[in-house]
Amino acid sequence: MTSSLFTQALISGILIGGVYALIGIGLTIIFGVMRVINFAHGELMMIGMYMTFFLFTLFGIDPFVSIVITIPLMFIFGAILQKVFINRIIGSLPQNQILLTIGLGLVMSNFMMLAFTSDYKILTTSYSSSSFKLGEISVSQPLAVSFIITTIITAFLYWFLMKTDTGQAIRATAQDREAAQLMGINVKWMSILAFGIGSSLAGTAGALIAPTYYIFPQVGSAFTLKAFVITVLGGMGSIIGATLGGVIIGIVESVGAVTISSDWKDVLVFTIFLLVLLIKPSGLMGKSRM
Amino acid sequence: MKKTPTYLMKQQGGARIGLLAALGALFILYAFPSFVTSPYVLHMMILLFLSTIMGESWNIIGGYTGQYSVGHSAYFGAGAYGTLILLQSKGVPPWYGFIAGIVVALVLSLIIGSICFRLRGPYFVLASIAVAEIVRLTVLNIPSITNGAEGILLSDLPPFKLGETVITDFISKVPFYYIGLTLAVITILATWWIQNSKLGYYFQAIREDQDAAHSLGINLPVYKNIALAMSAVLTSLAGSFYAIYIKFIDPTTVLPLDLSVQIVLIAIIGGIGTIWGPVVGSLVLVPLSEALRSNLIAQGLINSGLVSENSGVGVFLKEHLAHAHVLIYGILVVVVILFMPDGVIGFVKKMTTRKKIERQGRP
Repeated sequence: MTSSLFTQALISGILIGGVYALIGIGLTIIFGVMRVINFAHGELMMIGMYMTFFLFTLFGIDPFVSIVITIPLMFIFGAILQKVFINRIIGSLPQNQILLTIGLGLVMSNFMMLAFTSDYKILTTSYSSSSFKLGEISVSQPLAVSFIITTIITAFLYWFLMKTDTGQAIRATAQDREAAQLMGINVKWMSILAFGIGSSLAGTAGALIAPTYYIFPQVGSAFTLKAFVITVLGGMGSIIGATLGGVIIGIVESVGAVTISSDWKDVLVFTIFLLVLLIKPSGLMGKSRM
Repeated sequence: MKKTPTYLMKQQGGARIGLLAALGALFILYAFPSFVTSPYVLHMMILLFLSTIMGESWNIIGGYTGQYSVGHSAYFGAGAYGTLILLQSKGVPPWYGFIAGIVVALVLSLIIGSICFRLRGPYFVLASIAVAEIVRLTVLNIPSITNGAEGILLSDLPPFKLGETVITDFISKVPFYYIGLTLAVITILATWWIQNSKLGYYFQAIREDQDAAHSLGINLPVYKNIALAMSAVLTSLAGSFYAIYIKFIDPTTVLPLDLSVQIVLIAIIGGIGTIWGPVVGSLVLVPLSEALRSNLIAQGLINSGLVSENSGVGVFLKEHLAHAHVLIYGILVVVVILFMPDGVIGFVKKMTTRKKIERQGRP
């Protein structure tokens, strides 16, 4: 294998890793604040993809512009999900939480299937397959743009969580729910906020990969699994970890597809996942530091 | 004078009635094919048995030992593939080939157990999913052995010899009915035994409190592995049975994540950690999904006059409800978890004890 091919795979791995990071960060915020593992995370992303698709085909709104609409809509959707369903099972048995979110995911994907059939939809923009040269390496234009957007969103999220009062309240809730409550933080509101942010991040990720990916109702479950791998790799509850995990998984997939074979790249990802669970279950960035 | 506490008397009487009812039901089920010959009804019964076997098997590790495996499709697939690959490549009749499935499932469960049981709670769930996905992808990617995505189609079955009787007619559903019934009874008996044996008490102690069980001298990894192995072996039997009954397997039917979830649901909806939970779960889920698939519900709504056939709603229901059975599954899960986390059996129990308390006043 030539080194340029390797660099090529590395670059596209990092670019797609940005989107993975968004999915992972959403999952990790939800887990951090509520200790609930959201098995419907990929489905939230799938809904984001469909939103983007219809905004584009019906109103002609560019996918990258449409996130301005997708983000608030997904936030409201996530907040409602939290208020109606998730809120009732906070602190109950982990298996019940898992099954509830699996159930919600099934409802979402099958509802979409009933509404829009399970046909693959393709969102074709003028720049879907265009790329630009960076020396020897060609870079996919939509992926590059989405990477820039993810970087901006992630930076904004850091700022929000680190510097604003609400962000600090969310982090406090993640560190110790009861102590946060005693300090006068409205933890219920923080939970709603966290789930809203988590699902709007998943929706954004869906919007960003919509121009380069097939859109169909069952697309979510693969991404749900990927999101777990990313968050566990980075350390459950750690945002920096999820960012790192997303990029690493992106690189592993892309380089693995080139060096081994694209059929086995998912096996590679899951094997790494198992190894992390065995060797360092707390992940790269340790425990619940947001 | 010493009085036997009333709750004990009740329980003994209840157990005896329960045993009689079970024996009666078994007798009726045994004689069933002599009265009913409709292949469709027999097919439904076989699906019911299959679902019961899967639910009861999962119940051993999930319900009694409290380790929520969401990767049981791996063992189901091991049984199905083990049996059919041996039949296709070596001509081994499935009546012996299922042993290969058992061995594969056993080895798999020991590997999975030794990896996953070092983890707890949600981490265990995630690890079990990951392993099942690795198994599915591996089967998909080694077509020289497994035929890859095309799957394996079974053309004809070798005759089944049991002592003097030789069965060659496999177009009829009757032989499968009896195989299914036998397997279901075996798994129910196994569950009953587990509930009442020392081994089962170990399992239940692990479920209730791992650390307490550990401090009482129960070797956690060993007993968790035993529970998983038992569960895996029985699940692989279900897989073998499915393979020879349906006669076609591929990675998307016998190894997907959906199947693992479905197996868990059977037990959850009925009531986990109970002997009859998976049976009740099957009685709810199998007819429901079948009714949806064959459009009985849409037709029923139209026939009953609730929805007019030519209205938009009627047309929509007729066209789409058949595809909606997974949607209904999802809704069921959400409802069960939120409103009856102990399943149908737990819910009924709660209702009856509440009534009893109301009738008798507070104890």
